[in-house]
Order: sequence, then structure tokens, then C-alpha cells
Amino acid sequence: MSLGSKARENFVLFPLGRKRFALSAEQVSELSRQREHGDEEQQSFPHTTRMLTGVVVRRNQIIPVADIAPALIGTDVPERKFYLIVNLTARGKINRAAVPVTGECELADAERLPAKSNLPRYVSGLLSVNDEIVEVLDLERLMAAEVRA
Amino acid sequence: MNRSRSEIGDRTRPRSGETMILFSVGGSKFAIAASAVEEIRDLTGLRKFSPEGANPRFGKVKQVLERQGRRYFVVESCEHFHLAMARPSRLLVLRHATAAITVDAIDCMVELNNIQALPHAFSGEERNWYRGLAVVKGKVIPVVRPDSFLSRADVALIEASLRGREAAAALGTGA
Repeated sequence: MSLGSKARENFVLFPLGRKRFALSAEQVSELSRQREHGDEEQQSFPHTTRMLTGVVVRRNQIIPVADIAPALIGTDVPERKFYLIVNLTARGKINRAAVPVTGECELADAERLPAKSNLPRYVSGLLSVNDEIVEVLDLERLMAAEVRA
Repeated sequence: MNRSRSEIGDRTRPRSGETMILFSVGGSKFAIAASAVEEIRDLTGLRKFSPEGANPRFGKVKQVLERQGRRYFVVESCEHFHLAMARPSRLLVLRHATAAITVDAIDCMVELNNIQALPHAFSGEERNWYRGLAVVKGKVIPVVRPDSFLSRADVALIEASLRGREAAAALGTGA
């Protein structure tokens, strides 16, 4: 790294409603299309964990589906046909979770700017991408906040 | 150093194939180890029961069954799982304690070779309810932990509160 250069990281940007959000690319393991009859692919069973809407089976592994859209943009949620498969740290262990997204995802190389203090605690930083300010999400914190809500 | 499965905390993997009973409650399917069930019977012989004075979490016990000279406390499964609707038609008498659960229907018995641990993202009551998850014919089915319905300690607590009530009633009658 040359002197004076800023540390840049890779992020996956994805739209939800009119806004775009970002996750550290290190946290994202794949973008996966929902199978035909996507709604039916997601299966549910009784549980009390908020934000988890069910599970999907990927490569014989059962992955919980974490729908973060209502917490971020409210109830006017667009149809989403893809899952971002992300690594989550829960109870000290790394687990995978599927986050429903529209699919218009973009990989961006950017500098993480500090989040303003008036933003929710689940915003771990800000990116300036083509004159757009994008919030970087801390998924663990977002889900924990939802649990407390 | 060799360590047993229980020592390393891998309690979710069944030995070689475990027979499970699949049952449904309020539209959801569940599995329970066949070895955890003493008897499957209909609902005849149930008597109303009110666990007054006991811990409110025993509100899901609304009936008792007298069976072979013992009193079994019957858990409403739909209430246990916070499900809105159920049409109970069968009773699973459990082995680990004098407890039984109402279920809507018994679906079938299956041999399970693989139970996956409940993903850690699930952080609510389900961590106590389920041993893990199994995939049966493409469907994800939670495998229930029998003592989450009512443990031996829970049964002892209910019986203690009942004895207290009965003693108080006897004193009242005798006075």
C-alpha cells in the first residue's frame, strides 16, 4: 500500500425499495436464485425468533432465512427472487443465513467511512459510491436489535 | 484423547437410524423419537384440569389422564408451540415422565439417519423445543425434545402444587 492511500474493502451492494445497502463481501458466500415456485421453497415451522421467516435447503444444509427488509424499509417490500447466503456469527458460532434480495447486486470496491452517530447501531459504516451514500449493515447487530424490538 | 459424542456435545446425531413418529399439530409437522413414546391413544378418559397455584407456564396443561393407577399431565401441543389452531385427536403418552401431549394426527413412522442441529440463528424458545431438524421427503421437520413439553421436574412441581391444593381443601372440608 502506498503512503497516504486509504484502506479499501469489497462490498456487496443490494437494493431494497429505493435504497441500497451494503454487506462486507467477506460475509457473503453466494448469491443464489430462489428455485421455481420460490415461495414454496422456503419452509417454516413454529419458532419465536423474529426476522427469521423459515428455512431453505441448500446442498443438503438447512439454512435459516433472515428477512431484514421489513426492519430496514417497512412493509412495502419488493418481490425478491434471490438469496444472499451470508455468514452470521450467532452465539459465538459462525452460521449461514439466507437474506432475500431482488438480485440486482453489485460488487463494489470502496472505502468504509465511519457511520454518523445519529444512524441506527446496525449501520457499521458508510460508502460513497457514485455520489450515493450506502449504509453498510452489521447483520448480527440488526438481528439482535430486532430481537429486542 | 478419545471423547464420547455426549462429551463433545454432538447429541443431535442419531445412532444408526432412529425410528421417529411424524405427527401434526395446527398444520405443522413434527417428529418425535418412537422410543420416547409409551403409547398412542385417542382422547377418551381425559379429565379437565386447572393448574391453579402452579407456575403460569403450566397453563398449557389443561387435562389429566388416569392410566395404570398414575396421573398423567396432558400438554396442549398447540399452546406449547404458540399455534393458533389445532384439532387434537390423538394423545402421545410420553415415557420420560408422567406426561402426555395432544396432537392433531399421526402421519407415519420413518427411520432418520441424519438430524441437523438447529441453526444458531434460531435463538428463541425453539432452542428448547427441538433436538434438531430433519429433511423427510424434501420437507424440513423439527425433531422435538420430549422433556420440553413437561420435564420430570415440571411434573414434580405440578404435583406438589396439587398436593398443596388438596391439603387445603381437606382442611377446609374438615373444619
